[in-house]
Amino acid sequence: MEKIKEEIRQIAREALTGKKVDIILAWEKGPLWYDSYPAFFTKEEEVDSLTWDSFCINNLSKYLLEETMADKKVGVFVKGCDALAFNQMMQDNRIRRDNVVVYGLPCPGMIDPDKVRAKRLNRGLTEVKQSGDELIFVTKDGEITVPAHEVYYDKCLYCHYPNPVVYDQLIGEKVAAETALDRSERFSQVEALEALSAEERFAYWDSQFSKCMRCFACRNVCPACSCERCTFDDDDLDILGKAREDSEDQFFHLIRAYHVVGRCIDCGECSRVCPQDIPLEKLNRKLIKDINALYGEYQAGLDPSTKAPLVTYQLEDADSFTAGEKGGKGT
Amino acid sequence: MKKIAKDQLALLWEKIDQNYQLFLPIAKEKAVNFSTWKEGAEVDLDALRTVNSPKNIIFPQTETYLTFKKEGKKLGLEVVSRDEEYVVFGVRPCDVASFKLLDNVFLGEPVDKFYEENRQKGLIISQACLNPEETCFCNAFAINPESAPVGADVATWDLGDLLLWEAQSEKGKAFTEALSDLLEDVSEDDRKKLDEVKAGIKDKLEDLPLVHVAPEKIEGGLKEIFASEVWDELYQRCLGCGMCTYVCPTCHCYDLKDYNGNGCGERFRCWDSCMFSDFTMMAHGNPRTTQKERVRQRFMHKLVYYPNNYESYACVGCGRCTERCPVRLDIVKVIKKLGGERNEL
Ligand code: SF4
Ligand code: SF4
Ligand code: SF4
Ligand code: SF4
Repeated sequence: MEKIKEEIRQIAREALTGKKVDIILAWEKGPLWYDSYPAFFTKEEEVDSLTWDSFCINNLSKYLLEETMADKKVGVFVKGCDALAFNQMMQDNRIRRDNVVVYGLPCPGMIDPDKVRAKRLNRGLTEVKQSGDELIFVTKDGEITVPAHEVYYDKCLYCHYPNPVVYDQLIGEKVAAETALDRSERFSQVEALEALSAEERFAYWDSQFSKCMRCFACRNVCPACSCERCTFDDDDLDILGKAREDSEDQFFHLIRAYHVVGRCIDCGECSRVCPQDIPLEKLNRKLIKDINALYGEYQAGLDPSTKAPLVTYQLEDADSFTAGEKGGKGT
Repeated sequence: MKKIAKDQLALLWEKIDQNYQLFLPIAKEKAVNFSTWKEGAEVDLDALRTVNSPKNIIFPQTETYLTFKKEGKKLGLEVVSRDEEYVVFGVRPCDVASFKLLDNVFLGEPVDKFYEENRQKGLIISQACLNPEETCFCNAFAINPESAPVGADVATWDLGDLLLWEAQSEKGKAFTEALSDLLEDVSEDDRKKLDEVKAGIKDKLEDLPLVHVAPEKIEGGLKEIFASEVWDELYQRCLGCGMCTYVCPTCHCYDLKDYNGNGCGERFRCWDSCMFSDFTMMAHGNPRTTQKERVRQRFMHKLVYYPNNYESYACVGCGRCTERCPVRLDIVKVIKKLGGERNEL
């Protein structure tokens, strides 16, 4: 990744000096080992602090909403999942494609700091280096080598599209696309919930949602949540209050989940950012699973020229109103 | 000083629970928060910091204080107040310090009666931090995680098998007295062990990566910092969620709302966040029209406005925003950007 980082910096510098773009969206490194975060570069000399490492988890496509709408020319670096987000936002007409130069980064996977902490590898940790399929944790007292898949985010272990599906320029070599875990296993947790009785399932979600602080981080980080003004923020509508009430918490989650049906790219950002560890991916995947079953396999963000299942209508579509048909209560 | 064997703690909880609502750090679905203890609850005294801070107990996220009901032509009003006395066990020194910061705001004139009652009905038991984490920087605010913090009625230290217990306030002493059949006096050995543990914590602190954070090094007056260019860059990545303000033990902005039922209703206070687009919404709109102004507000409040009013920063270095902000726009980065860093210890 070191080598690619240099390449990225070079590309960023050239794009800025050549006035190809007004702004570059990439990542920068903070004081802690896992601390890589979105950064906006407008001057060549700032680019020295640009980083690319196993902690660049943030999806920068989300920022295009504002930046391209402001009529700026933007250069953006995207990993595999970020590219799906980019396409989804394109499909939702949220990005002006002409205003963006997309730099694709084949992605080896990103490290989940929680998994590092769970292994107690974080004590005295100063840096994490990558070497093939292994990661080297550099601490004050020496180095520890760990197989990368042990600390990658779950979503990376299931990732089918580490190579960006959209780009103007690809940087470095493509990586192997086979997943560390069987991709269909994504749905095994959903199946476990489906197997519960309605009461048990309600109790499960009730317990999960009772932790929600309604901080809206899950919504704000989501590339499918791209409305200019979220209906929850509209004070005049007053459809969601600010009280922490079980009913309101549940209402929020139902609406959020349903609003991203067929547009959720399963990037897992909502679950990642949730301070209360609410497994929002299970809700999203239940809906993805149902869409796959009802309308055929569909991956949001794969191809912006296809129509999403829920915005088209075909005569042979599932019809839950006709007895014996699949869909709705019938399944 | 007293002690109790840790395997006796369940008995202690039971006993406290008889007379008080007892809050403890309890794990539920993988998240540790202060919640009401019930038998069988998964108490986690090792979790360094809870997701939600104990602010949620003295200044709850949602607090109904008035109910109303239409009865014929009359309107019945009823003031709601906290019913039970409560004990919070396991509050970390940074969070104890945050209570004082909230007191400054709510107990100054005019006194907030609801908050005052919440404070009076509570008893705070602190717990020293054996293993400060990489995101901790309480030392920047002169908070000592090994110590018995001012403001705790009882202070405790975890010595492995034992929990040492020191009553500090009159309230804490009476409370300790009432539990005397479960608490024993400490031995000379225990005291020695405590000194070692404290020294160990201090050593660990010096090794922490954020030990150089020093807000007092920030230069310039209010107007200068307000007009600084750093805000132009800092705010850009902010997603405008409210997580940093909600998990923060010192953020204290709130909104007042009515819940409109059918012929009845409730008036409640709830947390609000300066990061939200509808914060301080007025007839003409939000006075802070862009995220830049909102981000600036949050940090100016903590590092400039609040200190101007109360002579201390409105941050206790708990590291919650440092750990949780989805885009890592935490107060450490802001302090550093403003020049608040020292080269040597
Ligand atoms: S999901 Fe795929 S593309 Fe995204 S960070 Fe993980 S490995 Fe990379
Ligand atoms: S991020 Fe988590 S706590 Fe915040 S609103 Fe979403 S589900 Fe609730
Ligand atoms: S600073 Fe971070 S946690 Fe706070 S509102 Fe912005 S993105 Fe959310
Ligand atoms: S600003 Fe951050 S570190 Fe400071 S008290 Fe609030 S959450 Fe803790």
